[in-house]
Amino acid sequence: MSPLAFMKEGETAEIVGEPLMRRLRHHHGHCCGNVGPSAAYDARCHRGGPGHDHLNDMGLRPGKRVQMIANSGTGPLILLVDESRIALGRGVAMKIYVRRIEA
Amino acid sequence: MADKENEDSQKAASDRKASLVIAVAGNPNAGKSTLINAMAGTRLQVGNWPGVTVEKKSAEFEYSGRRITMVDLPGTYSLSPYTQEEIIARDYLVHERPDVIINVVDATNLERNLYFTLQLLELGIPLVMALNMYDEAEQKGFRINAEMIASTLGCAVIPTVATKGEGIDRLIEMAVEFADPSKRYSSASASYGEDIEKAVQTVVENVRHRGGKPSGHEALRWQALKLIEGDELVLEETGISEDEVFLEKATHHLRKAHGEDLEMLLADTRYGLAAGLTREALQKPEKRKRELTERIDAVVLNRYLGIPVFLLSMWLIFKLTFDIAGPFTDWLDAVISGPLTRWALSLMTLIAVPDWTVSLVTEGMIAGVGAVLVFLPPIFAMMFFITLLEGSGYMARAAFVMDRMMHAIGLHGKSFIPLLLGFGCNVPAVYATRTLENPRDKALTALLIPLMSCGARLPVYVVFTGVFFSAYAGTVLWSLYLLGIMLAVMMGWIFKKTLFRGEAPVFIMELPPYRLPSVKNLLIHTWEKGKHYLIKAGTFILAISIFIWFGLNLPWGVESKKDSYLGLISQAAAPVFAPLGFGTWEAASSLITGVVAKEIVVSTMGEVYAPKACEEEQSEALTVGEDLKEIGVSFAGALGEAAKNVFSTFGIATISAGEEDTTGIKAAIARNFTPLSAYAFMVFVLLYVPCLIVLIAMRHEFGTWKWAGVAIAYQSILAWTVAFIIYQGGRLIGIG
Repeated sequence: MSPLAFMKEGETAEIVGEPLMRRLRHHHGHCCGNVGPSAAYDARCHRGGPGHDHLNDMGLRPGKRVQMIANSGTGPLILLVDESRIALGRGVAMKIYVRRIEA
Repeated sequence: MADKENEDSQKAASDRKASLVIAVAGNPNAGKSTLINAMAGTRLQVGNWPGVTVEKKSAEFEYSGRRITMVDLPGTYSLSPYTQEEIIARDYLVHERPDVIINVVDATNLERNLYFTLQLLELGIPLVMALNMYDEAEQKGFRINAEMIASTLGCAVIPTVATKGEGIDRLIEMAVEFADPSKRYSSASASYGEDIEKAVQTVVENVRHRGGKPSGHEALRWQALKLIEGDELVLEETGISEDEVFLEKATHHLRKAHGEDLEMLLADTRYGLAAGLTREALQKPEKRKRELTERIDAVVLNRYLGIPVFLLSMWLIFKLTFDIAGPFTDWLDAVISGPLTRWALSLMTLIAVPDWTVSLVTEGMIAGVGAVLVFLPPIFAMMFFITLLEGSGYMARAAFVMDRMMHAIGLHGKSFIPLLLGFGCNVPAVYATRTLENPRDKALTALLIPLMSCGARLPVYVVFTGVFFSAYAGTVLWSLYLLGIMLAVMMGWIFKKTLFRGEAPVFIMELPPYRLPSVKNLLIHTWEKGKHYLIKAGTFILAISIFIWFGLNLPWGVESKKDSYLGLISQAAAPVFAPLGFGTWEAASSLITGVVAKEIVVSTMGEVYAPKACEEEQSEALTVGEDLKEIGVSFAGALGEAAKNVFSTFGIATISAGEEDTTGIKAAIARNFTPLSAYAFMVFVLLYVPCLIVLIAMRHEFGTWKWAGVAIAYQSILAWTVAFIIYQGGRLIGIG
């Protein structure tokens, strides 16, 4: 098991670590409604709202097989998820864990 | 209850001849806008930006005697209430309840698209699925069992190829059939498993019992699911509290068996269903072919080549914009100041209108609007290339390439797209911030957008560079665009350290496959973008021009424009600009009126500096026929010159609007400015307050004047300071 960000170009892996994914959901929280610097910690956000980013909606969830298309070691990377290319920031990619699949 | 429902369906049945509302929903990049264009043909106008649907747009057309209204919802990945686009789509579907939903599905990306389909089905609105890009799926060797999807989900599934118009007729036919209440195709929503269904049942019964079914007729199942998820908006709307006894009871078993996060449980369930159905209905070939998109990306997104490729493409866009548009700008200028003005004059002489009306029409309306209209060619050219960037799929790559740099200013790559759109026009750019998930990003991006030099500022640059810097106009133009970008980086950094502390959130973005957009689609979208500028010229700017004319000619019979109302106000304001090198009342008046829209800066100058030109022009009594011939000949000349520019030069040819300019604006500018003060003036126009329409867009987008206020404040200070540094600094080192 290693962070997604460590996958080399061309490697295929399966996303694991559901607890990690869940924790991530709450890490990168933000919510709708009022706009502004302080909104991120709005009390309303405490439930449901917070961790919503598009990781889940875009198919990046535990059990999903992904292939690394581009990973230059710094900056964002590109994954192939089914037939779509998903660009992902390195920060998140460090927090998602994967299990490599031997080709 | 049953009676009421009966009534409803009877009422609906009697309405059915008249009109139908079809909502079109789907993931971004599924080909929604192309499909809508294909369905509605040329019978309507669809205002949509590929990938960036600016607002919920609707279109109307006739189909077998019925009025069909199609509503284009923003492309989203889910119906959760967390991004503004999702809320727009969701609110529309829940509260307006269209007769039928057309769900545009990317056939090459079934699983993720089906996840969204399942969410749509929860609403209980009849659904017809357009299995779009079917040809691409076939090329990839995919075999999709459409019937299985249809029978599992209880909807119709029509394979379509929107770009070629395939399957479109059948799609409309099915959508209309499904909308028919008498046939009432109820979607036999896929089961979410015994535990969840039981909880749903309990919640539905309780909500029904309370007598409240606040958001519509068949939305009960949807509402129940949302209540189980603990969806804030639905809790709020129904007035049901989260710890209501029945809700607690209904979900008790679920919580015990699956943990507390029921939202996650439902997401898992939907994904499980989508993945299962995809496994059943889709056969993929063993080996995946390396696609053209991947080969292009290998170059375009290469760690060393990425940024040079991006800069080169930007340079090409600017070069082509000015090369192609330049000759046509000159041509338009000649037509407006020559024949058009002459015709208006002869017409007015013919019907013997009073002198002041002649002045209002020629010096106010024609000079004011004309000064702006002249710049239609470069603006349309710029819009065309931006559309090309979006439609081809390169725009998302640019965002990827710029991600690292954007982090320096506390944003990530996705914010780069609205900024890039800003070079066309800041207004849609502000609306495009809607694609950003995070309110902090949205606000910060919107604040930086006005520093991207939009098309409306171009007229000012062109007039001034034409007078003072004609030899190296290209470089001067470039320097202004670049200055805007550099200041955006600086301001972004300052904002990050002050107003917007905190880390930049998750960067996640789909890179759509490269596509060659059809010429037709390109032209439609270019027109959609550019027409606002044209409409603005015909309405807003016309009105302001008339207003300015009165401002310059009242009190009645005022001898010199300087003593007119506008002149007096401008004289009072002029000292503010004196340290910047342009403390004249003429400059002040154009800047004051330019707050409304920046192209007004030139149209005001057109009026302020307009000499009494009417008499001299009349002497060349050409006939209408000769005029028309002249217009045609010079247009052909412009065509030839544009072609020559594109192929012959590598420098940027410049627009020399009205070098033969007879109205004397240029001469007046040459008298009133020095090269140094002209440059300071251009910089000031680049930076000072966003135009009124952008401010309104900010208010509209954020629901508060706060950010518009911040923009006005910081930009005024920035503009004054930078112009001051340039002018005084330039004088210190002995320029100007």
